[in-house]
Amino acid sequence: MKKEKLRVIPPAERANPDLESGKYLLMWQGPQHPGITGNMSLKLIVEGDSVVDCETHVGYLHRGFEKLMERRLWMQNFPLVCRIAVPEPDFNEYCYAAALEELAGIQIPDKAVWLRTLSLEMIRLASFLMWIGGQAGAFGHGTIIQWSVTMRDYVLDLFEELSGGRIYHMYIIPGGVRGDVPAGFFKHVLEIMDTVQKNLDDIELVMFHNVVFKMRAEGLGYIPADWVDHYGITGPNARAAGVARDLRKDLGYLAYPRLDFKTIVGQKSDAYERARLRLLEMYQCIDLIRQIVDQCPKDGPFREKLPNPLYWKIPAGETYVAAECTRGEYGFYVASDGSDKPRRVAVRGPSYTHAVAVMERLARGVNIADVAGLMVSLHTYPPEIER
Amino acid sequence: MNELATRLAARYGARGWHDQRADLATIVLDADRLRDALAYLRDQEGYRHLSFATAIDNIERGVFTLVYTLRSHDKGHSLIVHADIDRQKPVVDSIHLLWAQAWTYQREMKEWYGIDFPGSPRVDEEFVLEGWEGPPMMRRDFDSLAYSDATYAERPGRATSDPARHMKEQLYPEAAE
Amino acid sequence: MDIKDFIAPFAVWKRAFEKPFTVKKPIDERPGAPRYRGFHINDAERCVGCGTCEAICMNKAIDLVPVEGREAKEGDSGLRPRVDYGRCCWCALCVDICPSGSLNMSNEYLWIDSDPDVFRYTPGVDKKPWDGAELGYRRAEGYRLLDEQRVPMAELGHREAVKSFLELVQGYSRAQAEKEADRCVSCGLCIASCPAHMDIPGYIKAVREGDLDTGLRLLYETNPFPEACGRICTHLCEGACSIGTGGDPVAIRWLKRYIADQVELSAYAKALPRAEPSVGKKVAVVGAGPGGLSAAYYLALLGYEVKVYEKDGEAGGMLRYGIPEYRLPYPALDKDIGYIESLGVTIKRGVAIGKDLSLSDLRRDYHAVYLSTGLPVAYGLEVPGDKHPRVLDGVAVLAAATRGEELGLGKRVAVIGGGNVAMDAARTALRHGAAVDILYRRREEDMPADADEIREAKAEGARLIEKSIPVEVKDAAGALAGKAALFVWNEAEMVQKEEGKRPVPEAIPGALREELYDSIIAAIGQGPDLSYVTEEDGVPMKRFKPLVDARGMASPGASPKGGAIFAGGDLVNDRKDAISAIADGHRAALSIDRHLSGKGA
Repeated sequence: MKKEKLRVIPPAERANPDLESGKYLLMWQGPQHPGITGNMSLKLIVEGDSVVDCETHVGYLHRGFEKLMERRLWMQNFPLVCRIAVPEPDFNEYCYAAALEELAGIQIPDKAVWLRTLSLEMIRLASFLMWIGGQAGAFGHGTIIQWSVTMRDYVLDLFEELSGGRIYHMYIIPGGVRGDVPAGFFKHVLEIMDTVQKNLDDIELVMFHNVVFKMRAEGLGYIPADWVDHYGITGPNARAAGVARDLRKDLGYLAYPRLDFKTIVGQKSDAYERARLRLLEMYQCIDLIRQIVDQCPKDGPFREKLPNPLYWKIPAGETYVAAECTRGEYGFYVASDGSDKPRRVAVRGPSYTHAVAVMERLARGVNIADVAGLMVSLHTYPPEIER
Repeated sequence: MNELATRLAARYGARGWHDQRADLATIVLDADRLRDALAYLRDQEGYRHLSFATAIDNIERGVFTLVYTLRSHDKGHSLIVHADIDRQKPVVDSIHLLWAQAWTYQREMKEWYGIDFPGSPRVDEEFVLEGWEGPPMMRRDFDSLAYSDATYAERPGRATSDPARHMKEQLYPEAAE
Repeated sequence: MDIKDFIAPFAVWKRAFEKPFTVKKPIDERPGAPRYRGFHINDAERCVGCGTCEAICMNKAIDLVPVEGREAKEGDSGLRPRVDYGRCCWCALCVDICPSGSLNMSNEYLWIDSDPDVFRYTPGVDKKPWDGAELGYRRAEGYRLLDEQRVPMAELGHREAVKSFLELVQGYSRAQAEKEADRCVSCGLCIASCPAHMDIPGYIKAVREGDLDTGLRLLYETNPFPEACGRICTHLCEGACSIGTGGDPVAIRWLKRYIADQVELSAYAKALPRAEPSVGKKVAVVGAGPGGLSAAYYLALLGYEVKVYEKDGEAGGMLRYGIPEYRLPYPALDKDIGYIESLGVTIKRGVAIGKDLSLSDLRRDYHAVYLSTGLPVAYGLEVPGDKHPRVLDGVAVLAAATRGEELGLGKRVAVIGGGNVAMDAARTALRHGAAVDILYRRREEDMPADADEIREAKAEGARLIEKSIPVEVKDAAGALAGKAALFVWNEAEMVQKEEGKRPVPEAIPGALREELYDSIIAAIGQGPDLSYVTEEDGVPMKRFKPLVDARGMASPGASPKGGAIFAGGDLVNDRKDAISAIADGHRAALSIDRHLSGKGA
């Protein structure tokens, strides 16, 4: 029975249920539902306890960032962009800064390259730690989130020490990074990596060798490999389907070409496989962070001098800078008309497709109780959809 | 890559190939060739991944410039395809059959810019701006600050002084303007 | 299902006996990290209220507000930033950009109150528990958003400089000027310090944007001597510059010069306002120095027929005869004056009022008269022997140099005095190959001359003898009698006579020194020559100065007796610099216009 379930591919066409027939029930999951990630809602049409149709509704967190950015100076947008994906602000900071540097022709010092890489890997770990709690919680496993959020807090302590902020680090500034590492920082990083790793070992035992989790996650939300290009799927969701794409390898930005790591790929492409792949990527994060601590230059400049931010004009042009975040391809398209403010900034978040087109299709035929688990297994953040 | 530029020019009248980076180029097309060119790029040239699609309001030129960013993982190369459409009659072919997530971007562009994509699923439905009655908000002629000032009250007690003006009032009020 | 999948979850029970990860009551003892971006702190003494924090704040969270007990003064607006924590996003860009470095953040993040309106305060003014916090966000060492270093100005080396009267300062190139203009934060603190209240942020912006016509127009709104002031202005503005609180002040003077240098005189008319149609009234100006010509320029713009009377052969006053050409080359000055003349201002050169014409002639023939005759008469040394033929007057030496006359200063020259005239005389003497001693009765830091002038005079080889009180000039003995003189001075020490006042030099008994000089140049100050003003002109005097009202009017005059008299410049004000004279001239022009058009009453 399990084997058949593995290969269930939801229909491409939407059902057109007659809501007046009394056979169906329309229910909203979210935006305030605890089983939904963030302020998003799913409009479900269910027949009995299975979902017949699903529509994603976003907009509860729309703050008009792209419009706001067009009225602010280039440097004034630096504290704004981090808010576009709350659990992973650093990817916004990096993509924005890198796009500006490319358009303005600025080379950043090597130390800044390493510290940016460190910052991105630390937030990747923190974000995965939050996700794993959500994933376990969506299947009724409330212990994991207490552990993993504690671990995440330790990583946030590191950010607080490095940048002065826990959630919005505002550390990757156009031109480099905002400060050198404080004394003893690398030692703290290594200590906390040891703690997190030990905790991950426990999580692995409790969650991934858990009959309940296995029964519920295996076979859920199967994504065929040929969907990857068709839906624009990226990140762990694509890798779990056996498509070996990782922008850290493919684009080779920052210090990644100098780090030793392999793209992790899965095969079964269900919720369990995706979760397991993310767990492996968390171990990979810890390994990368240790490598970075080992290789990061101990001194040297960490920032390029920029023109006066009050009048900084960036030559006309456009670029698209992408990075591999926890969920896949995160990118900033930045167009300048040569003035002191951006002409257009467009943010490409992986959730844009994962939470809308992909989720709507995968939900068809799923048990209501599994909708939350399915949703979390796609690892989506609504703010990057609506911006 | 210049061979690709030549092929795109010959087949679809593409022009203005610009290498922004070794792994990123931009090109411009006429809007009526857009869907065919994107299908060709996807099927024949390996640009199978649509990173995102959006628009820029080039109000000075009276056009919306569409932005389609494609990536070929095999070549390790991204290509941004541009096409201008008339700001007064903003309609362009839908690509929802080429990529399964494209309709979301088109729905967004409809809501944010007022660009229509006939045939695109749910293109007229609200996307993020539930209950919004103003003009398409990403248009350059929609002044968000003026809207905000007209719609919301300032917090009472806020007042600021310009240093130069304040010093003039304090130190040399007699000087002529 | 694997049996492990049932058993494995229990394996972590072993952790029950380990030290927990969590911390007890962390809220009680959880200070923010040393770099934590917490509530703002501000050193209100160092802060100058420039508002750059407000300008960079993308949330509009900062207001600049007046603070009780803190008045606006030179280089300090008296305002202080107030932060609204309903808007602040703790990005600390305000800290990164703060020119003085006074604004920082504490590592305090807890502040609980039931009233939502209290979360708004003026750091450093409204007392808070975290005031003076040692920890909290500080910008990284060597890292700031503004450039604290001025774009260096190319200058002749001192060895080269003393060989000729070539201009020392070479001027900025376009790239240099735009880079220097980029350092300005447009706070406008400088405007109040400029006697003419020039729109400094405005013309610096014009430089930044490459719009020199606009720049020139802004300069001429308040100052028709940009070439001259761009070189020799006392640049009080730079002393008030907020950027100067944490680095080199913006080179405002060089940027002004850059604008004027870049626009050709033939292109001035296109950029500058045209004169109003003639109002049919005539004004006479006495003295073609910067003040007189400034009044003439603005009067001409307002449609008056203006005639300027100058006793010397050339116009420019002290700018020409007092300032050596290595600081202000004559072509630059001629450009400023040439433009004023091109507006129809007539300059009658070589016509001395009181000799060739009388003031009452002017009052009869003109609707108003502006007196701007400055301080042409040098004070004597007032010591025995000061009438010795080798005791020269500094102003006269500089004027003779301007006229290209043979100075005959000799090999050893003493310059007595500590002002700019003394420095100019010393450096002129150096350029004529003399060894120069500068003798000043107080210390170097008390000298009224610009610091740059003193530094350069010393660098060019002048020897500074401080705390030297002149005692006597004695004729040289033997063959040198009448050709050289012994200067005798008494060494002094600085004595604090009254608390709060500056110390005064007091002669040390018996510490007499003397030195033989070929020339002794006295440059200890100048006075006015008001012999041309007669009692019937009705000009009230106080301490040898015409007494003027707030409008610059000295005597109202009344028809048919004659036109009103206005006065300004060094003759009247205490600043005694070109820019103040220019400001006086501008003010007088506006007052004369109000007076004559009947708007003034």
